[in-house]
Amino acid sequence: MRFLDLLVMSINNLRRRKLRTALTVLGVIVGTASIVVMMSLGIGMSEMQMELMESYGSMTAINVYCDTYSQPEGGQDPVYMTDEIIEQFRQMEYVDGVSPLLNVSVMMRQGQYTASYVNLVGVTEDYMEQIPVGEGRHPKMDGSEVELLFGNMVLQNFSNGKRGGSYYETGELPDVDLMGKPIFVIYDMDAYYQSMNGGTGTDGTAVKAPKKYLVPVAGIVEGGENDYNQYSWEVYTDLEALKTQLKKIFKKGVIPGQPTNKKGKPYPYFIYSNAVVYVDSIDHVKEVQTAISDMGFQASSNSEWMEQNKKQSQMTQMVLGGIGAVSLFVAAIGIANTMMMSIYERTKEIGVMKVLGCDMGNIRNMFLMESGFIGLMGGVIGLILSYSLSYLMNHLPAVTQMMMGMGGMDGSISRIPPWLAAAALVFAVVVGMVAGFFPAVKAMKLSALSAIRNE
Amino acid sequence: MEEETEKKKESPIIQVRNLYKIYRVGETKVFALNGVDFSLQRGEFCAVVGPSGSGKSTLLNMMAGLEKPSKGEIIIAGTHIERMTEKELVTFRRENVGFIFQSYNLLKTMNAVENVALPLSFRGVPKKERLELARKYLKLVGLEKQMNHMANEMSGGQQQRVGIARALVVNPRIIFADEPTGNLDSRTTKDVLNLMRRIVRKRKQTLIMVTHDNYLAGFADKQIHIVDGKILKIEEQHHEDEEEL
Repeated sequence: MRFLDLLVMSINNLRRRKLRTALTVLGVIVGTASIVVMMSLGIGMSEMQMELMESYGSMTAINVYCDTYSQPEGGQDPVYMTDEIIEQFRQMEYVDGVSPLLNVSVMMRQGQYTASYVNLVGVTEDYMEQIPVGEGRHPKMDGSEVELLFGNMVLQNFSNGKRGGSYYETGELPDVDLMGKPIFVIYDMDAYYQSMNGGTGTDGTAVKAPKKYLVPVAGIVEGGENDYNQYSWEVYTDLEALKTQLKKIFKKGVIPGQPTNKKGKPYPYFIYSNAVVYVDSIDHVKEVQTAISDMGFQASSNSEWMEQNKKQSQMTQMVLGGIGAVSLFVAAIGIANTMMMSIYERTKEIGVMKVLGCDMGNIRNMFLMESGFIGLMGGVIGLILSYSLSYLMNHLPAVTQMMMGMGGMDGSISRIPPWLAAAALVFAVVVGMVAGFFPAVKAMKLSALSAIRNE
Repeated sequence: MEEETEKKKESPIIQVRNLYKIYRVGETKVFALNGVDFSLQRGEFCAVVGPSGSGKSTLLNMMAGLEKPSKGEIIIAGTHIERMTEKELVTFRRENVGFIFQSYNLLKTMNAVENVALPLSFRGVPKKERLELARKYLKLVGLEKQMNHMANEMSGGQQQRVGIARALVVNPRIIFADEPTGNLDSRTTKDVLNLMRRIVRKRKQTLIMVTHDNYLAGFADKQIHIVDGKILKIEEQHHEDEEEL
């Protein structure tokens, strides 16, 4: 029998009993919609949580930390993160990029406003490109010149040198124009304070006030003055340019923040206390993290936290989906019942078809198609219903307000990703066919003789 | 030995040998068929006659592959029916057999043309082709005007004509008819029987009809009388084509 003929026959059989078909389909509609809506709530919640987590830092980044102060005692060389180690990280499998963080505390000035202990961080391009820029552009990364990218909250550090009164006291942002007017940077803060207080250096001469450097500002990190993100409090610049600059300023001296050997002399290379390793996908974070820990560094990432969270949200989704599944299960029973009824009604018809030479497989497939079709119709209409319910939930003011109350998360609480919609459709059809399977086999095995005798 | 005798004549299309059907009712055995032997030639119109409970319907059902014999052989066109699986039997019926029922058994959801075209659809004949064939056969049985009537919009005689057209449309080698006129009045009965005989003879098809009515059996070329599961007698008579036209 041709597939099309079979299909037409199945559909005609369904059309014959419109009310019963409609009622059975209604069951599937409710079942599908409840699964989809429940799942969409679960997905919405977990995605919102993910978004929240992502605002605290990338999911695929591993923070590597090397404590420069608690190094092993004894003669052996301390394990420091040097450029060489960074290069080793970069060669590891699954690693997309690495950036050491060279932290220098500096002082910044513009007009009357001064900010001390501003954390200037030298990073590589891998890191820099992760930072979203709100105003201006990323600093140039060719190592030629130090350009600054200000965190969006750094401005709060500036205080008026003469009047005093920082942002924390007054609540007013200092009148510093980062993009418009020049910013001066004093790298050698120790020397600055010593010169201010009339201190003397190791050789007894008075410390000269350190040089101020005019540094161009390339941009400001995205976000308002109160929108915290992980880049808010630092000032970023190109690592190579910063290294060159620092070497030029401190020459053979100790660069602040860099460890010294036992004799108090600086190492001839830069030592980083922090680095960030970017892994290609979330699945490999753990592996890379372990490898780095084995090298003797402390590594941490969001992945553990996230994994826990993932498990939790999976649980939530399963519970929610389970509640929905119950109603689809009830709908499946409805389908099975309808099909059974249909077989009893059509016993004779099935018998006649068998006597006339209709293949047994065809009879089974016809019934399977009918039940599958009930599933499909229910699935499609159920999906439409789900989308409208989802839209309602996301746009009803009452719901949005409740959401804001629940920890200030915003975004849609009910999300139906395409895979969920597709899966729901397939699932509805499969449920229909599974429910119709035993009736269909029963129909197939019906004895033609007793069927036609059944007068 | 057997082959030699078969070759003398034209080899029979249906051979039934030593056929038994035994039902167990509690402790006792009931012999629905108790050793039946006969053979039929191609193009023969055969009536199986007997009172109710004589086993004539059982015989028909076994020849059509709807029931398994307890013992014995049924050979149709050289193949052993009794050894086939249910699946093979369905295929066999689809390719070789037409069936006419006492209660017509038309599908109520379909009109006359669709009913006639139904067995063709089991063979996978495309829709256009099979509807055309169905119309042709409906014309043959004289139902040009009722083509698009639903089953329950027609009289018994008309419905049975549709049933006959449905049996003929697949161009079967054998047509089984189980009391085909059982629900018809005597005038219609005569019409229907004449119609069947005319068509079958023209197309050299074998028709096997089960009936309890000796008068109706008289229409056939060969009458097999069955009583209590045994063949009582086999009568042959020849009808001239012209007399019933």
